[in-house]
Amino acid sequence: MTRLAIALVALTWVAVASAAGTPAGQLTWALHVTIASRFLDPADNDGLITPYMLQYALHDALVKPMPGGTNTPSLAESWTAGKDGLTYDFKLRKGITFHNGAPVTADDVKFSFERFRGAGAKILHERVARVEVVDPQHVRFRLKEPWPDFMTFYGTTATGAGWIVPKKYVEQVGDDGFKKAPIGAGPYKFVSSTPGVDLVLEAYEGYWRKVPSIKRFVYRTIPEETSRAAALKSGAADIAYLLTGPVAEEVKRTPGLHLVAPLLDGVFWLDFPDQWDPKSPWADRRVRLAASLAIDRQAINQAETLGFSKPMGNLIPPHFEFAKAMPPPPFDPAKAKALLAEAGHPAGFDAGDFYPFPPYFSMGEAVAGYLQAVGIRTRIKTMERAAFQTAWRDKKLRGGLVMGIIGSAGSAATRLEPYVTRTGIYAGGVLPEVEDLWERQAREQDRKKREALLHQIQDILAARVMHAPIYELGFIWGVGPRVEQAGAGLIPGFPYSAPVEDLALKRGAP
Amino acid sequence: MKKFILRRLGYALVSLTLLSGTIFVFVRLTGDPALLLVEPGASKADVDAVRERFGLDRPLIVQYGKFMSGLVRGDFGQSFYYRTPVLELYLSRLPNSLLLAAVAMSFSLLIGIPTGILAAVRVNSWWDRAGRIFALLGLSLPSFWIGLVLILFFSVYLGWLPSSGSGTAFHVLMPAFALGWYFAASHMRLTRSSMLDVLGAEYVKLARLKGLPERRVIVKHALKNALIPVLTLAGINLVIMINVAVVVETVFAWPGIGRLLFEGISFRDFPIVQATVLLGGSMIVFVNLLVDVLYGVIDPRIRYER
Repeated sequence: MTRLAIALVALTWVAVASAAGTPAGQLTWALHVTIASRFLDPADNDGLITPYMLQYALHDALVKPMPGGTNTPSLAESWTAGKDGLTYDFKLRKGITFHNGAPVTADDVKFSFERFRGAGAKILHERVARVEVVDPQHVRFRLKEPWPDFMTFYGTTATGAGWIVPKKYVEQVGDDGFKKAPIGAGPYKFVSSTPGVDLVLEAYEGYWRKVPSIKRFVYRTIPEETSRAAALKSGAADIAYLLTGPVAEEVKRTPGLHLVAPLLDGVFWLDFPDQWDPKSPWADRRVRLAASLAIDRQAINQAETLGFSKPMGNLIPPHFEFAKAMPPPPFDPAKAKALLAEAGHPAGFDAGDFYPFPPYFSMGEAVAGYLQAVGIRTRIKTMERAAFQTAWRDKKLRGGLVMGIIGSAGSAATRLEPYVTRTGIYAGGVLPEVEDLWERQAREQDRKKREALLHQIQDILAARVMHAPIYELGFIWGVGPRVEQAGAGLIPGFPYSAPVEDLALKRGAP
Repeated sequence: MKKFILRRLGYALVSLTLLSGTIFVFVRLTGDPALLLVEPGASKADVDAVRERFGLDRPLIVQYGKFMSGLVRGDFGQSFYYRTPVLELYLSRLPNSLLLAAVAMSFSLLIGIPTGILAAVRVNSWWDRAGRIFALLGLSLPSFWIGLVLILFFSVYLGWLPSSGSGTAFHVLMPAFALGWYFAASHMRLTRSSMLDVLGAEYVKLARLKGLPERRVIVKHALKNALIPVLTLAGINLVIMINVAVVVETVFAWPGIGRLLFEGISFRDFPIVQATVLLGGSMIVFVNLLVDVLYGVIDPRIRYER
């Protein structure tokens, strides 16, 4: 009876609070990763998307990816690029404060940029001559020379340089102190953190964009997938990230629960490291095309990610700036066999080892199965992730195929750089015409002309079948019955709930 | 005795120095952690920047020198993943591991020893057979499976216990059971065989001939001696429970040292792996030393001086 009375009071309170527009209720996540204190400080972002899962709640950026676009003004009311490409001016919104009440000023912007030490810090600090505080609401970035990618690095999740922290507070508590009790300008403020267990945040009613509707966020680390699903089923969590295969299917079957799957920036693809060796069968475009046509992308998508992924014809997700939309190659085993015969392999050939990106081994086996069906015989070689990436980077995965995944944020230019350019960390070779176009686009100030150059590169790569894109990965979550708006896929390419101030519980949810 | 302890401490120091070198080299053979700290497809500049930040671009001998000099000062370095001092992380997880190990050990002793005694006293009876099945299941069922079954039953269907995490007494019950069952089974088996040995000894026969009540023969005469190997094993098991309960801690999202080590290995977080292995090694060396000293105290026939 007492429980019932408490529940009724709580229900009434939630309903009244929601109606009044004040935050109410609690949303709990079951996370697949352990929350590290570095996730709470944007200065430490190493290019992984994971920290933004929390930073979209705790912090805010001058410009950031939002449902409206990749470079959406946030703490900045507006921004303009100088005609000479040497200056970028940002005008801050008036009256914005950090969670401790201190105003967000141009000094904080300058400080945050100079303090940033994560991925992209070197190139940003090298190319930006100085940051000028014009007045408390106005900051100017002056570049050493025109750099068309500046906003890709500064205004997206490619780096954390544009995410603003309070200068005075950081100087007062130091870097370690800031990680323990971060203060930001985001829609949620820090309440507590138990290392390895959870993180608790509470709505910041002074947030400029809107007052969040949910009062409290609890992020719980549950590394084991089945345990995350159990937490969702028992009601201990409202959203469980990263569910796969049978566990996802079980959640799908459970009444009251459902699955959502925002598309990640991560694209699976086949790399042909031996295409640069004239003696290898892979040097022949027809063989590479045969491999691409042999793969039933939709069937693998269905088996691996319940159909939530998106078959691709390009390494670059369509929402990236300068991406060229390309349909996925058809599944055509007959044509693949004909191409192999034409290339001098009527009975197929032994293609050596096949290295799938860890831990996507079952997907690798599926791809190898389709290749085998047309006569491209491989042996699956599984490796641990660090060893795999080291070997791939060091060009030791020769004599076979590599199934990779690219996940870095940015634009078509930054996406291609590691794989097709002279300085590319994973590039096994370089086409002179691609290198030439690459150099030209890097200097091009005119957006249209730059886009044309980058499209040309993508056309060449596709025509030469330099890679075989497979699909853009759907990141599957389970969502519980209390959630009205989970924030899945609202920001293109962002795998987690966002914008968090838009999340909502169902009316009357306990 | 003093000489013996000093000599053993010397050996311990040598062992730990060798362990530090071994773990330092071996953990570095497994791959480049910088590649795990960035998204697949990160640029060379970004990967190089990560390597530079953690000193991974320096020669191995320089890295080892820095590691050892830090160790002398009690500084295990900064975690690559967490970006906080490793010792701080280790100490924040240690109480959770100690709690889990203590509850799991209590469970394993409370179940394992009485079951073992009963099985030995009533050998080949129904009790014995049930005990052997219990031991067989405990030793052969993987703890992650037991954990998941417990979660499904007690959390999802009955809703009695929290499925994961820590913080209340209820949180520790399922992980302690899942961890403790394996050890309860091993304690039960050892208690049973040890009791069977002792029950056949001459002094137990004499006690019976003297007409002592059976309960007294078992509890006072047999059990005391039979428990010595069991308690030795329990001491070593306790150290194992504290340091390597990786699977159970992962299934129940229990924030202990085992999971910290697992995370360290997964992310090639060298400082975490080095610290957990070294501190775990120190714990084993210390427990072994303690056991050796206690043997001398318990059994006066053991002499340490040469």
